[in-house]
Amino acid sequence: MSEPLIDLAGVTRQYQRGGETLRVLDDLDFSMPKGAFYAMMGPSGSGKTTLLNLLGGLDRADGGQVLVGGEDLAQMDGPELAAWRSVHVGFVFQGFNLIPVLNAIENLELALLLTPLSKRDRRQHAEHALELVGLKDRMKHKPKELSGGQEQRVAIARAIVTDPELILADEPTGDLDRTSALQILGLLQKLNTELDKTILMVTHDPVAAEHAHCTAHLDKGKLGRIEQNAAGRATADAALAE
Amino acid sequence: MPFRLVLRNLLAHPLRNFLTFGSVFVAILLLCMLRGASGALANTAAEGSNDRLWVQSAVSLYVDLPLSYRAKIDAVDGVELTSRFQWFGGVYQDESNFFAQFGIDSDAFLQSYPEIEIAEGDYAAFERSGRGCIIGADLASTYGWRVGDSVPIIGQIFNRTDGSPWEFTVEAIYSARTTRVDQQTLYFHYDYLKESLEQGAARGPSGAGVYLVKTEPGANPTRVMSEIDGMFENGPLRVQTTTDGEFARQFATMLGSVPTLLNLVGGAVLFAVFFAVLNTMLMAARERVRDIGIMKALGFTDVPILGTLLVESLLLCGTAGVLAVGFVYAGQSGIARAMAGFIPGFKVDPGIALTGLGIAVGVGLLSGLIPGWAVARLTPIKALRTEA
Repeated sequence: MSEPLIDLAGVTRQYQRGGETLRVLDDLDFSMPKGAFYAMMGPSGSGKTTLLNLLGGLDRADGGQVLVGGEDLAQMDGPELAAWRSVHVGFVFQGFNLIPVLNAIENLELALLLTPLSKRDRRQHAEHALELVGLKDRMKHKPKELSGGQEQRVAIARAIVTDPELILADEPTGDLDRTSALQILGLLQKLNTELDKTILMVTHDPVAAEHAHCTAHLDKGKLGRIEQNAAGRATADAALAE
Repeated sequence: MPFRLVLRNLLAHPLRNFLTFGSVFVAILLLCMLRGASGALANTAAEGSNDRLWVQSAVSLYVDLPLSYRAKIDAVDGVELTSRFQWFGGVYQDESNFFAQFGIDSDAFLQSYPEIEIAEGDYAAFERSGRGCIIGADLASTYGWRVGDSVPIIGQIFNRTDGSPWEFTVEAIYSARTTRVDQQTLYFHYDYLKESLEQGAARGPSGAGVYLVKTEPGANPTRVMSEIDGMFENGPLRVQTTTDGEFARQFATMLGSVPTLLNLVGGAVLFAVFFAVLNTMLMAARERVRDIGIMKALGFTDVPILGTLLVESLLLCGTAGVLAVGFVYAGQSGIARAMAGFIPGFKVDPGIALTGLGIAVGVGLLSGLIPGWAVARLTPIKALRTEA
């Protein structure tokens, strides 16, 4: 796990709010090896989500360098960034963000429309991803017909269906009860250990953070300490066994 | 472009989309009909008979001409036949059953109207019978009248003094060879009306509304018109002689410039429906901002996102347009028959159909483009943060 997938150097991101300049990320240096599972914690407004947005190519840094998989995101224009996102990143959001009019498998197939796969291959890939998250039997269900935990599992399936190396999860358990949250965290661990996905998960929940290999702390746009989570591996085993 | 998403979004709000679809359907239908009617009115002058002229009061169509004029007009060089033509204005049973009735001279009428053919009965029997009438095939069909039936008409302008309705016997049923001549009129002997008035059996204005003139073959209609007008230049009542086409146009546009009015109404309808569809698409776009954010996060660019709203709007308007044009195109002969009484020659030509389709597509394009462009250009983060 020594080769870095994510490498940020001197990254700055600021917003204008009420005539005031808000420096959300302040000369941030952060590196994350390929195949790692990191939790990112910090108080509200510390820049966690902004960091995820920069890493996912949803936003642009005002300064510094954002390298993901060796590619400098600042050098890409809008359509290039969109194409890069479709191949290299999978997003898992707190509010699930499934398209409500599409059923589970159609939500996955939507993401695959940007790949050169045939219709039949898209269906096979989507079924396989739903099988991985244990929801193949719910593939014809629309989001409103699923529980919160099931919706988040579909969202995770969508995040991995294009087989990206990086999964960015923003408070993936924030809207879930404890049982569902543990299932989701177990699933993320499974993606990390079995599919070798690099995962960066933003969370407020220390229990959730413990499921990751490391917890990085962000405060006022600056990176603080990075802790190794001893419980991470054990929790993963327990969750998967459950 | 995710076509399935477009369809699902269309079906997600069935009532709203059905109403929008309906408004486009009705608007395009109306537009095609208005264009057809407007075109028919504009064409009446061009398509009129060349050897048929109409003599009317120079003051107004509402002023009757003296009966003595017939013999004088008959004497004009180039005039073959003359018929009095009197608007009767009665109703059958009540005012909801209104159709045109004219008192005519049977010896000149049929020869002046080669477009008319007798489909049932005998025109000679009509000529012989004092109270006989001939009716159009559509009129016969509407009321189930057959040859030999008695048709009571309640006078509105010409009332019988005993309060009874006028009784006409159907002697023949005519059909028209062209849509310019309607099949919903009742023609009876003008002499029946004249005698009733003279005998005191009825009250109403005496005189002829207009005179129908058939010119001799080879006669110059311009000269004949000029001669007739000149003959009555010094009274007692000045006349204005017009060609058949011009007369039909004047008759149909007595309320003013009807083609212009119809086009204005059509234009207003067009704007109204554009705003209705635009409103629907603006609502759809606003509801879908978060979905658009998701699509952007997945890697979709502005163009396919704009495409989803554009195709949705085009499907909504285009399908309604195709159905409306198809409906009016397929039913144009029926519509023409129904409108023949006041706008003869109604026709939806391919130009009108294409215009209707073009407008539907245009409305769909603009209605999808305006909100689509606005939301497609949102940044993924802004779109994702928007509450539905």
